[in-house]
Amino acid sequence: MKDKEEVKFEENIKELETIINELENGNVDLEESIEKYTKAMKLVAVCDKKLKTIEKQISKIVTDNGIEDFKIEE
Amino acid sequence: MENKYLEVTALTRYLKHKFDSDPNLKNVYLKGEISNLKFHTTGHLYFSIKDDNSKINAIMFMTNAKKLLFRPTDGMKVLVTGRISVYEQTGSYQIYIDEMLEDGVGNLYIAFEQLKEKLNKEGLFNKEHKRPIPKIPKRVGVITASTGAAIKDIISTIKRRFPLCETYLFPSLVQGDGAKDDIVKKIALANTFDLDVLIVGRGGGSIEDLWPFNEEIVARAIYNSKIPVVSAVGHEIDFTIADYVADLRAPTPTGAAEMVVPNINDVINHVDQLKIRLNESINKKINYLKLYLDSIKNSFVIKNPLIMYDNKKQKLDLLVEKINKAILLKVENKRKYFDNLKNSYIFKNPDSLYKEDKTILKNILEKLELLNPLSILKRGYTLTYINETIITDIKKININDQIKTKFNNGYIVSQVIGKEENNER
Repeated sequence: MKDKEEVKFEENIKELETIINELENGNVDLEESIEKYTKAMKLVAVCDKKLKTIEKQISKIVTDNGIEDFKIEE
Repeated sequence: MENKYLEVTALTRYLKHKFDSDPNLKNVYLKGEISNLKFHTTGHLYFSIKDDNSKINAIMFMTNAKKLLFRPTDGMKVLVTGRISVYEQTGSYQIYIDEMLEDGVGNLYIAFEQLKEKLNKEGLFNKEHKRPIPKIPKRVGVITASTGAAIKDIISTIKRRFPLCETYLFPSLVQGDGAKDDIVKKIALANTFDLDVLIVGRGGGSIEDLWPFNEEIVARAIYNSKIPVVSAVGHEIDFTIADYVADLRAPTPTGAAEMVVPNINDVINHVDQLKIRLNESINKKINYLKLYLDSIKNSFVIKNPLIMYDNKKQKLDLLVEKINKAILLKVENKRKYFDNLKNSYIFKNPDSLYKEDKTILKNILEKLELLNPLSILKRGYTLTYINETIITDIKKININDQIKTKFNNGYIVSQVIGKEENNER
């Protein structure tokens, strides 16, 4: 699970675009199309989830003391 | 004596000519303080240069003004080069400035130009060394001061545009003596992290404040960074060596954050678009296959499978008929041929073949018989030889020659005792 989380968002989008281009070109047979479609829908779901869950933006500061959360004094 | 009154234009032109033809006024080095500065919309700069006692109007045209390495302000002490001429409409003399430097930073300027040229020659600024900046980074590293406007601008911009992106600040000195070494150290440290892009910079300041970003070791550290680097030093008009060597130059720290992360709404829209395209593409595929299947199901053959046999059967019948006809025709032809042979004259009178030949043969034999010299002998003629050669000419025979005379049934040998030639011819 951790590994999947680590996959970069941009790579997900790129993979998604590649699959869609392949499907749009129409040279893929039905079984493969459905397989690719299923995979693409999973990628969409991952992207959607990431984009639509409002997470707190993470800022860290790296000092000699190690990595700490970084807060800007407003 | 009549006084000559000059026209103003003529006088002004004369004065302008005086100015323009004076070699000392063609290339003037002047120092003073900027006052009354106006940025014209055309890009030209209009101002005065003054010192404690005097003042001269100055103009710097856009083509020269855009090469300025700093943003001039009123009160700034400057060194300028240019020429002095007269502006005829107002009758005022002024300096037309080619180049302008901040006074006191002349040495820095020279150092900047020298380093820029050196690194450029080495190819550090070349396009092929520019790494692409990821479109949607997951982690952004920032090397700047932990306090101050730059880091605030960067983090708040990233938070606003794309909160999914994490920022890692590597706090660094950005001005003063230790700054260059600290920046180099932090670039190296940042390269040990899994970052997609690195922003290196600071907020605005004087040319001395920005100087660490003009240092060679900083330039080389940026060049050697494995993570793509976006430079964000000072304001829009501030250009540093770091800007030339970085993979991307941002005009300001805020600008850097905007260039580095996308707007989340754009990304959401993009994903939505992809979703639509995905569904459309699969639906299109399925619809196409459905139509194809329907067309097969509705095809004549599938609906009337026996038709396939009908056609084949018909074809077979046709072929059988054809082959029968062909054979009959062949047999008939042969039969006709034999009939012809049977009815032919030769077939009916085979003797005729020989009869004719027999007659010919007889004739030939008769002719041969006539020609046979020996048969001539039978009739009483003889042949005369000398030394086994037949003699037909009396001239070849001399008196006393021995001749041989051949008869039908033998020969005699005799000696010539006389001869008489015919006198004919």
